Amino acid sequence: MRVSTTTMFEQGVFNLQRGQALLIKGQEQLSTGRRVLTPADDPVAAARTLEVSQSKAINEQYARNADSATASIGLEENALARYTGLIQDIKTLAVNAGDGTLTSTDLKTLGTELRGRYAELLGVANSTDSNGLYLFSGYQGTTQPFSENVPGAVVYNGDQGQRLIQIDAGRQVAVSDAGSDVFQRIRTGNSVFETSVDPANIGTGIVTKGVVRDVAAWNAAGNPQNFEVRFFVDSTSVPPSTTYDIVDTVNNLSLTTGAAPAAGPYLRTYQDGATISLARQAPPDTNGTAFDYGIDLSVTGAPANGDSVTVVPSTNEDVFASVYQLIQAVESATPGAKGNTQLANALNSAHNSLDNALDVALTVRASVGARTKEIQTSRSNSDDLGLQFETTLGALQDLDYAKAISDLTFNQVALQAAQKSFVQIQGLSLFNYL
Amino acid sequence: MTSGIFSIGVSGLNAAQAGLLTTSHNIANAATDGFTRQTTIQSNRDPQFTGSGFFGQGVDVTTVRRLYSQFLDTQVLTAQTQASYLDSFVAQAQQIDNLLADPSSGLSPALQSFFSGVQDVAANPASAPSRQSMISLGQALVSRFQAIDTRLSEIREGINTEVAGVVKQINTIASGIASVNRQIVNSGNSEALPANDLMDQRDKLVADLNKLVRANVVTQSDGTYNVFIGTGQSLVVGTQTLTLTSGRSTEDPSNIEIGYLIGGSTVTLPPSSLQGGQLGGLLSFREQTLDPAQNEFGRVATVLAQTFNDQHRLGQDLNGALGGNFFSPPAAVVQSRTNNAGTGVISATLANVGQLTASDYRVTFSGGNYLVTRLSDDTQQSFAALPQTVDGVTLALASGVPANGDSFLIQPTRYAARDVRVTVSDTALVAAAAPVRTAGTLANGGTGKISAGIVSSIANLPLPGAVTLTYAQSTNQFTVTGAAPAAGPFTYTNGSAIAFNGLSVTVTGTPADGDTFTIANNTAGVADNRNALLLAQLQTVQTVANGSANYQSAYSQLVSNVGNDTREVKVQSTAQDALVQQTRAAQQSFSGVNLDEEAANLIRFQQAYQASGKVLQIASTLFDTLLQLGQ
Repeated sequence: MRVSTTTMFEQGVFNLQRGQALLIKGQEQLSTGRRVLTPADDPVAAARTLEVSQSKAINEQYARNADSATASIGLEENALARYTGLIQDIKTLAVNAGDGTLTSTDLKTLGTELRGRYAELLGVANSTDSNGLYLFSGYQGTTQPFSENVPGAVVYNGDQGQRLIQIDAGRQVAVSDAGSDVFQRIRTGNSVFETSVDPANIGTGIVTKGVVRDVAAWNAAGNPQNFEVRFFVDSTSVPPSTTYDIVDTVNNLSLTTGAAPAAGPYLRTYQDGATISLARQAPPDTNGTAFDYGIDLSVTGAPANGDSVTVVPSTNEDVFASVYQLIQAVESATPGAKGNTQLANALNSAHNSLDNALDVALTVRASVGARTKEIQTSRSNSDDLGLQFETTLGALQDLDYAKAISDLTFNQVALQAAQKSFVQIQGLSLFNYL
Repeated sequence: MTSGIFSIGVSGLNAAQAGLLTTSHNIANAATDGFTRQTTIQSNRDPQFTGSGFFGQGVDVTTVRRLYSQFLDTQVLTAQTQASYLDSFVAQAQQIDNLLADPSSGLSPALQSFFSGVQDVAANPASAPSRQSMISLGQALVSRFQAIDTRLSEIREGINTEVAGVVKQINTIASGIASVNRQIVNSGNSEALPANDLMDQRDKLVADLNKLVRANVVTQSDGTYNVFIGTGQSLVVGTQTLTLTSGRSTEDPSNIEIGYLIGGSTVTLPPSSLQGGQLGGLLSFREQTLDPAQNEFGRVATVLAQTFNDQHRLGQDLNGALGGNFFSPPAAVVQSRTNNAGTGVISATLANVGQLTASDYRVTFSGGNYLVTRLSDDTQQSFAALPQTVDGVTLALASGVPANGDSFLIQPTRYAARDVRVTVSDTALVAAAAPVRTAGTLANGGTGKISAGIVSSIANLPLPGAVTLTYAQSTNQFTVTGAAPAAGPFTYTNGSAIAFNGLSVTVTGTPADGDTFTIANNTAGVADNRNALLLAQLQTVQTVANGSANYQSAYSQLVSNVGNDTREVKVQSTAQDALVQQTRAAQQSFSGVNLDEEAANLIRFQQAYQASGKVLQIASTLFDTLLQLGQ
């Protein structure tokens, strides 16, 4: 084949340029460590790289969110721990106050200590985080959640919002609880009904918090839910006999007779500590209509004639009110049997309330604990996932150094050969011999 | 007899000299671009008939011919114009390719940082530094949008400049060809005695033209070339040329378009008629890669700004007011063709950004109908009247009356990336909170709990007062008081939504008879992050292209499209370069100068010259012999 001199130059230069382009590319890959230098090198990998790096960035963000959630929820857990500790302290003080040998001076001292705890309680409820935001005011971070304008009457100024933090694509976890749910939404009595003695009682009857036998019967329509147990002491008999009646105070009917309440003696006989059931017991009841309101209570001690015990449905009461009532009961206790009975009944009620408050606090703490655990799990998942994304990214864009270096060396050899042969071939000319 | 030898010797000398002349011409032009090697054609003279037979009379140089093959040359031209086309396409495409996916300068890092900023606000809604950082990162994001868009616009302007330059070059070459045509006619060129070097010059001009735009030639009987470019537009006819013009498009003034100057008026040439070569590459790149890329990029900006704004407006800022727009609201651009005859002005509004395509649209008023053409695939819809919504864009006649044949260019997303701004500068105006809050009344006896509530419309906000949901056990219903407009009652099902007036809440658990729940305006909610969480979630919601992509994946798609385009033309270009090499080698192997061959020819003709000289010397000796005989 005839070859023109121009072709020899052009082909030679074309090959040299191609070899140089390969070398430059290899050099660029080696110096950046990236296999894909522009999307054109591998369009699919380039697009995947962008998407995976977004997933990686989001995952890192979730990890940061989880860290911030851990910090926030840690503060709440701390406050709740202090709160449960305080309730237990107050309960201990209430037990101490029940020691019948205490003088009124001792009780005053206890009262002072309780006031200290009360103030501490308010402090915990108004805890703030490192930015000065209140922990328990819902969405209203800068509003002090609990304020006491009148002694004993604490008002909640926050709302019921819960702050959530995104810790995973499909999961937002709450990092706060509203103060109303922690300190306020606490049931009185035994959570279903509440018993109390008439302050005017003169006997030594102490009422228990009662038990629910049948919650459906209590909740059934037609249950008036407000009752009074009235005692009658016949002092003429020897020994004196005590009888009681149960009155539906809504409809003003005696449950035992089914008629309007009358004066004693009553049909049922009182025994110290025996069950007083809000269900028909015939005999001795003469009520023609069967009834069962599903609850029982009992009274210990010796009620006096005309003493009464009331039963009302449970309501919500805040922990501050419960503690304040306890303080007042302790501070205003009077010596003597009547005073002791009143104090004992008040302490019983306080114990009930504090137990309920503790229940609520522990429930919230349990939920906080569960959330902390979840955040930690999610955090470590994020780490694992981050590693996976890193691996995927590496596979998509990173350079295989061994291959790249070997390619570079090969291309170098090829270019050297092309250069050398080009020069040698160009040196061959007939003109050299003319 | 002797005179015969003399004359034969002289003819040999002449022929050898002619051979030496042509060989030196070849050697001298060995490196001349477009040169075709020449050779002398010599033939033996007619013999003289004598009684002893036919005696040769020497040699004649009939002509000088160039070794030119129309077939091989056309092959080179065809391969070359495609190679130039691909070269200029690759050169442009590589600019976008490098721009988009650079790990530090692309859109992705800015997009990710911005949403990290939103997440930070969600984690610390009351923190002014977090809010400031979200605003600053938003500004960084829009400036990244703008920077990339500016670069794309610069590429577009670069193409405009290059197109105008190429058009000038084409005109220059065209007049060059016409002038060589004239020289050839005047030179006495004929089939037998061709004007080789003039023809080489002209072929070189055609080859140059062919690199700018595909050129075809037809040889006329007088030896002149008629030149056609692109898909057959005549450029040179004999010694006449037609003039190409470049100027701003009447439809889209951001583009330069090409026209013919005929009788003082310009006739626009559609880009599809100017294929091949650098010009074809530029025009194709603009239409196939740049326009879709800039539109798709703008679409990411449009959807991001619109969806983010929509959610931001459902929130509440630190001042307790409903959120405003976080970004400037995106808008479609309408350009009336500059030579429209009517007064009609068409408006385009974005009705549903999720349905937007990356195409431009042309609305043509024709025969009383509005013909809407989607330019990416030329699908057409005809409407008797506006307004109409096409692909999420509502077209309406804003004012005036269009004349028949008027046309309007609708660019829903082209300028969105250029125009997007952050409109919030006060940290308090970041709407991280939700405008309402819910509460279960403290005295409730049941275990019912109300959810935080979702706001889907602010039409009925702020609430005139607290809205109370009261549960009645007898009917198992919630009655709603305080809502305006009035709503309910709603039958209670555990966990199912109660929705009214753009609000939606869920009650779970067992509410007791008479339990109440309230929905109220959110006040002092500085630590409320509900809307910030929803804003942050937008990052992964499929909002683009009919819910098939999120912001990042829409951008990744763009990168992948550009990458694919670039890769494709690069691969083609490499293959085409090899093809050019091959065809050129074939053409050169026939027409090119080989110096070794010319050296051999030098020796050959030199020896022929010497031999003819020897013939003369011998003839002279013979003559001397005769003279001596006479002494």
